[in-house]
Amino acid sequence: MSQGPVVELLEYEEVAAGPVSAATSRAWYHYLLLGAALIFTAVSVSFVGTIFWSSWPEWIHHGFTLLTGKGWTSPAGPFGGLAMIVGTVETSVIALVIAVVIGLGTAISIVFFIPRRFRTVVATLVELLAAIPSVVYGLWGLLVLAPWMQVTVNPWLNSWPFAKEIFGNSGQEFGTSLLLASIVLGIMILPTFVAISREVIAVVPQDLMEASLSLGATRWQMISGVVLPTAKIGLFGATFLALARATGETVAVALVAGSVANVQFHLLYPGTSIAAWIATEFGEAQGNEVAALMALGVLLMLLNVCLALISRSLVNRQRRALARV
Amino acid sequence: MSDLIELEEPGDSGHAMRDEIRRTSDRFRGRRVAISRAMVALSCAALAIAAVPLILLMYQLFKQGVGQIDWKFFTTVPTTPTLIAPNATGGISNAIVGTIALTLYASIMAIPLGVLVGVYLAETQSKLATTLRVISQTMAGAPSILMGLFAFSLIVHDLDVGFSAIAGAFALAVLMMPVIIISTEIAVRNVPNTLREAGLALGAKSHKVSLKVVLPSALTGIVTGVILAVSRAIGETAPVLLVIAGGFTNTWKPLSPVSAMPLAIYENAKSEWPSQRAQVWGIALVLVLFVFILSLSARIWASRKQQVRN
Repeated sequence: MSQGPVVELLEYEEVAAGPVSAATSRAWYHYLLLGAALIFTAVSVSFVGTIFWSSWPEWIHHGFTLLTGKGWTSPAGPFGGLAMIVGTVETSVIALVIAVVIGLGTAISIVFFIPRRFRTVVATLVELLAAIPSVVYGLWGLLVLAPWMQVTVNPWLNSWPFAKEIFGNSGQEFGTSLLLASIVLGIMILPTFVAISREVIAVVPQDLMEASLSLGATRWQMISGVVLPTAKIGLFGATFLALARATGETVAVALVAGSVANVQFHLLYPGTSIAAWIATEFGEAQGNEVAALMALGVLLMLLNVCLALISRSLVNRQRRALARV
Repeated sequence: MSDLIELEEPGDSGHAMRDEIRRTSDRFRGRRVAISRAMVALSCAALAIAAVPLILLMYQLFKQGVGQIDWKFFTTVPTTPTLIAPNATGGISNAIVGTIALTLYASIMAIPLGVLVGVYLAETQSKLATTLRVISQTMAGAPSILMGLFAFSLIVHDLDVGFSAIAGAFALAVLMMPVIIISTEIAVRNVPNTLREAGLALGAKSHKVSLKVVLPSALTGIVTGVILAVSRAIGETAPVLLVIAGGFTNTWKPLSPVSAMPLAIYENAKSEWPSQRAQVWGIALVLVLFVFILSLSARIWASRKQQVRN
């Protein structure tokens, strides 16, 4: 999943707010453009409409078991989605913590500590990494990380006191687990987060930083006292975008999470997420189960739209705040 | 680079307040500098930590992938290994043909429409344009599995076309369109207004200006966006997973089931046969090279054109 549009988000809003040029004449050209716009409107309306409509039987027959029920009995049902919802929240929140902690440091060092010559190279590299297809991350997680987790990491985690209560027993058959899914997700959303937060940090006005340095601040005092507070809202925006990407990630999680529909708080046991469950179950699904998976799709869509709206309003607020400086 | 700008010696040393400031600042100075150095080191450590898994991934990809690739890898269709011939994995020609076919059909659907909608958004100001802008942004970030669900219910189920290349291409087209729309709009809006005004002043009709002046100037940005959209579509698994049903023959027919490289990776990674699991690295390497070449060429082309203009 390449991040072209996301990275360009900052630039995009700016341009979209700019002046509008010569209006098109009322010729065939105008109708051509209008026609294309109407077709796209129809596509996007039917995009939402079709998925909602296909999920309708599930809401009618099973009400809201999908939100609260445990266990997924195919093909007859009932279909409980609690395991997937919990799995999505667990994996994406842990992934987000990994990505934000490492990504913030990475973005700061790219902007401030790397020699200018290497900066473009590193930035291009980060964007290339964001372009690696997610199935390749999943493949690497399944064939390389999972055996390593099984042989090395899981026993080591379990050697800590109380670890069994937190993580559960080690020794899962293939090493696939919710923890592995979180780690792979964290690695995957890292380039996204770094790319956006790098841009957010880079547009902090030079005057502010120089003012802080001239008052005797050290480099870190400048970053923690001036740069991060100025860029704060935009960084939250980047965080929500990364979270949106983590919750929507499908095949990588389907490969490394283990595909078991249990409500699972022990991270070393296998689990699944909403998107991954749709991918793994859809092949054999029939009748009502298709509707139930569509209903999971509706949940995913709502979740994603909420996260996207939050992140966009945050990025917009950041821009307005910077415009005032 | 030092961590602290050195203050010059104050000229009037009798100034009590400045002395006071210097004393206080000196008392904490060692600690401030130490904290700063530590945090700089931590940030650079984060950069190193971020690089490690990605280097490991690329290393595995090349180490295990290169050995899998030979002439037969590209030219034969896959076979299922048996107990007698556990290494008979065959090639991936069906997946390569499928990926090219899917991308081609998706491009035919998405590129003209996307560019036109992008121009519409850039050149008109209406409620519809504002709404479409928000919609295309939201769709650009939507989970790709939703495009698969959409293509399944509309094309495979409602229109009763069945599992087919055209359904997969439709899903990919829905995925590509927002990306193309957004980058086209940016490119068209970045064309300087003076160019438009010059065209209008020479007496050209405004649609002539749009077609003959604005679009050629915006072409670089539009093409870059299109290439990025294509490179994203090539690597996507989730949308095609639900609708193309993974055929085992080389076929360009829009209505027959096809395979695709991401799908082949997804299926073979879970295989019980070690030979198939090994072959996956080869497919992944080819796919990653495809994507890298596309997005690098887009980037290089865009930056070169920009230099020409400057």
